[in-house]
Amino acid sequence: MFTHPPTLQIRTPSPTTTEFIVTTRPPPSLSRTIVSVVVGSLRLVAFLTITTLLLSQHRLIPPWAALLQRDERLDPKWLYPISATVLWIIAQRSYTEESLLVIRSLGVQTSTTAGTLIGMGRKTRFIQTEKVRDVVINEGFYGMEVRFYLAVLVEGEAALSVVFPTLLPGRRICEQVWRGTRRCLYQGEKTKS
Amino acid sequence: MRYLLFAIIVFIAGYITARFSLITQALELANFAWEHGVVGRTIKGFLILSIFFFLFCIPIERIVAREATNEFLSSALFNPANILQKGVMGGSKSSSGDVLMRIFWPLNYPRDDEPGVLVGWRNSETDIFVVTILNGVNSTRIDNELRSGSFFRKSRPSIDRIFDICGQQELCVLGDVNGFAAEKEEFHPEYLHTFTHKSSRYPQIYCPSTSGVTMQVILFEEPDPRRMEFHSLTPISLALEDNGADGENDDMEIKDREKQELLVEKLKQHTVTRIPPTEKEESLQMIIHQINCTHETTEILRINVELLNSRRYRRALSVSERVVESAHSVWRTALGYGWALVMCCFPWVVNIFVIIMLFWRYLAHLLLLILEWRLKPELAALKDISATAQQCDIRLQQFCYWPLQYDTVRQRKGDLGDATNSYPHYIRFYNSLWLVANDIIIGIALGSYLIENGTTVADTIDYYLKTYTIDGLGRTIQWLLIDPGGLKLNEELDRFLGDLFGWVLNYWADITMQISPWLPTIIYAIGISSFAGASMPIALFSDLLSILTIHIYSFYIASARIYNWQLSIIYSLFHLFRGKKINVLRKRIDSCDYELDQLLIGTTLFILLIFLLPTVMVYYCLFAASRMAIIILKAALETCLACLNHFPLFALMLRVKDSKRLPGGIMFELKDPVEVAQGFQHKFDTAPIAYIHLKSTPLPLSAMFKQYSQLGMRLKRHYFSARVISCLLTGKAVPPIHRRNLYSMQYSMLPTVRAHWREVWERLRK
Repeated sequence: MFTHPPTLQIRTPSPTTTEFIVTTRPPPSLSRTIVSVVVGSLRLVAFLTITTLLLSQHRLIPPWAALLQRDERLDPKWLYPISATVLWIIAQRSYTEESLLVIRSLGVQTSTTAGTLIGMGRKTRFIQTEKVRDVVINEGFYGMEVRFYLAVLVEGEAALSVVFPTLLPGRRICEQVWRGTRRCLYQGEKTKS
Repeated sequence: MRYLLFAIIVFIAGYITARFSLITQALELANFAWEHGVVGRTIKGFLILSIFFFLFCIPIERIVAREATNEFLSSALFNPANILQKGVMGGSKSSSGDVLMRIFWPLNYPRDDEPGVLVGWRNSETDIFVVTILNGVNSTRIDNELRSGSFFRKSRPSIDRIFDICGQQELCVLGDVNGFAAEKEEFHPEYLHTFTHKSSRYPQIYCPSTSGVTMQVILFEEPDPRRMEFHSLTPISLALEDNGADGENDDMEIKDREKQELLVEKLKQHTVTRIPPTEKEESLQMIIHQINCTHETTEILRINVELLNSRRYRRALSVSERVVESAHSVWRTALGYGWALVMCCFPWVVNIFVIIMLFWRYLAHLLLLILEWRLKPELAALKDISATAQQCDIRLQQFCYWPLQYDTVRQRKGDLGDATNSYPHYIRFYNSLWLVANDIIIGIALGSYLIENGTTVADTIDYYLKTYTIDGLGRTIQWLLIDPGGLKLNEELDRFLGDLFGWVLNYWADITMQISPWLPTIIYAIGISSFAGASMPIALFSDLLSILTIHIYSFYIASARIYNWQLSIIYSLFHLFRGKKINVLRKRIDSCDYELDQLLIGTTLFILLIFLLPTVMVYYCLFAASRMAIIILKAALETCLACLNHFPLFALMLRVKDSKRLPGGIMFELKDPVEVAQGFQHKFDTAPIAYIHLKSTPLPLSAMFKQYSQLGMRLKRHYFSARVISCLLTGKAVPPIHRRNLYSMQYSMLPTVRAHWREVWERLRK
């Protein structure tokens, strides 16, 4: 209901700039909008409840909301772990989104939403074209299976920089992205030389 | 005129208010409304309406808007097959004459309709860097002035320096803004036509699709050099570079690095075709420099444009004006003479100050020599043994380095250009100052507590020492004497060992009894020392702990020796038992024919020792465990010290305050073309233009705490290695981690070699 098999979205405002987004976010529809609104309000309610409980535990409720003040205190052995878990669950992002931005004459940029914090955990890495030795599709062991992955070889670095590292989409998507990337990065130069 | 109108309006308003006593009536009305409950009803109605609005109207509006855009996008944009087809077709069609044009555009330009001139650098034909928009000037005149070099009447040297950094290029006119009706004009890459409007954040660029140009507009927020913001391609490093290689002298790390280098070499053979980077791609570093200089250049341009506009109004002062001015400036002249006198004395004051400081620095240097002195090169120096000496060493080295560091930071003020090298110096200098100041503040709090509650603290320490290290140990030894946990031990050996350790323990207890009356005095002394920083009492406690538990250390050594001997004897007798022996010369095990009596005696001894082994092992386990506990306690204290001495506090504060001051690289964000096009005023057919936002990413936390993680890695690698565990099991002495590896973090902000005093003198005199 909340996630979807990874799908590829491509944005090309001009042939020299392309963004490939692989996401597990379901495609926009009315039911999804309603679900997201409901989930969002549930999150808000849970957050407010936890905050109120924590505040009333420490007698920190402001006077204008004295109604919410509980007289007996809860058992701290249960309150703190449970509220921490609930807050952690609230902060979870329901989908993962990873992208590859290719800009000719500047370079490529990989980015990943780290699944925990809403809005904050976005890791990006920009690699100049100078430093890009090649973009390849490779096979690798992943747990008990063999997966295809797209990677950028970076000049002077021993480790590959894996594109879409958490989702690791299938070969079909990888191939599509690989072709698009090479076209976007190199085609103009080839015809020139 | 406007002021007059304003005054009249105010007068009329005041007259009407007074004439009809409006305020009284309004008050009465309010009173009436309050009494009849109008306010409450209004608020209720407002609340109900707003709840209705929030619950229904906004969601419905959002849903409708989203659905509409989704429909549009899914049909137009997010259809990969469609796009790819288009891309393929576009590629094949336009690749023949496709020229990529790159425009860098600062984001904080004035968003209005006023016509202006684009001024900036032209890095190449199709690579353009816009610095600013100048309003209200003639384009050809500016171009001529820029070309002839007569534009910069003011601040010529600073603009020369900026040109130096930005690749030796003069500024030129790149095009115009809101200049003309664009529709019929042809497109020239030398002279751009752009449009801005307050409805859009992005500039619109005239570029018809027939021109065969594809555009990238890269928007950036110009960093403010006065607030020390700058962009950088690589993350700034907080440690000193020349120490990086020195810290990595761990064998394993060197091996790892060699392996990685080999891998890199292998990767180099991978690529089949190598596409040489174009000029545009190589110029990224220079463009980053240009971005860093944008703010300054804009300021200088503004000043000069004002000069240019006001030049024609200038004329010489008349005689009366001059008289008035000289009368005004008498006081200023007097002040000027005074200032000159002060400036005359200033070098002398500075010199005296420098001499005093050099004297202190020399004293510190002498102390450091004592701390570093070794009897023989392979023996440990004082600072390797004692945590206090180590702490003193770090503080003194910092003190010796500060004058030079300050000098480097001060020189930076004169040279804003090379930001990437100089800002880390600034951060390092203030980080160490902050840490010391923080340390002293915490130290004063801790010290006053220790001084006031000296006896209590001493009693507590005495109590814990006695209960755990003397009585507890004695009780455990007593327990070991009577078949611990049902384990059958050899009674005679057990009693011998137990008595032996018991006697030594009793003797040590006597000694501590002698010491314990002095403990409050020692605590008092530690309290006084903590005015030099909280790290001092922690280091002293660490040393005190090692002195007061020296008996456990000696017990551990003794029992480990006995245990190890016994194990090695058992090992060789086992070979004898099998009819083998170790060939020392060839380092292997050979067969050997033993005589019968040799075999008999050897086997008897072997069995004897096997039976005695549990007894010795029990004692070894006890003392090894207590030794480990003390090592863990000391490690905790050392961690506290490391945090106090090296925590990247200043960097963290900078990160919170203004993350642009700690750049960790750059990132790009592709703007949605539909969204961008919505705000544009002029609708004409354009070639594809990609709007990209260039941002600076702040330094990630992992990079700030890199050295901590490196240290943790080293400790883990050393203490959880198979070698150390086997040493612990067989009772050999555990090899300690090399102190230089352990403390490389603390010294990573200091240079390896201290500068000579003469060098310091010369640098400070400058």
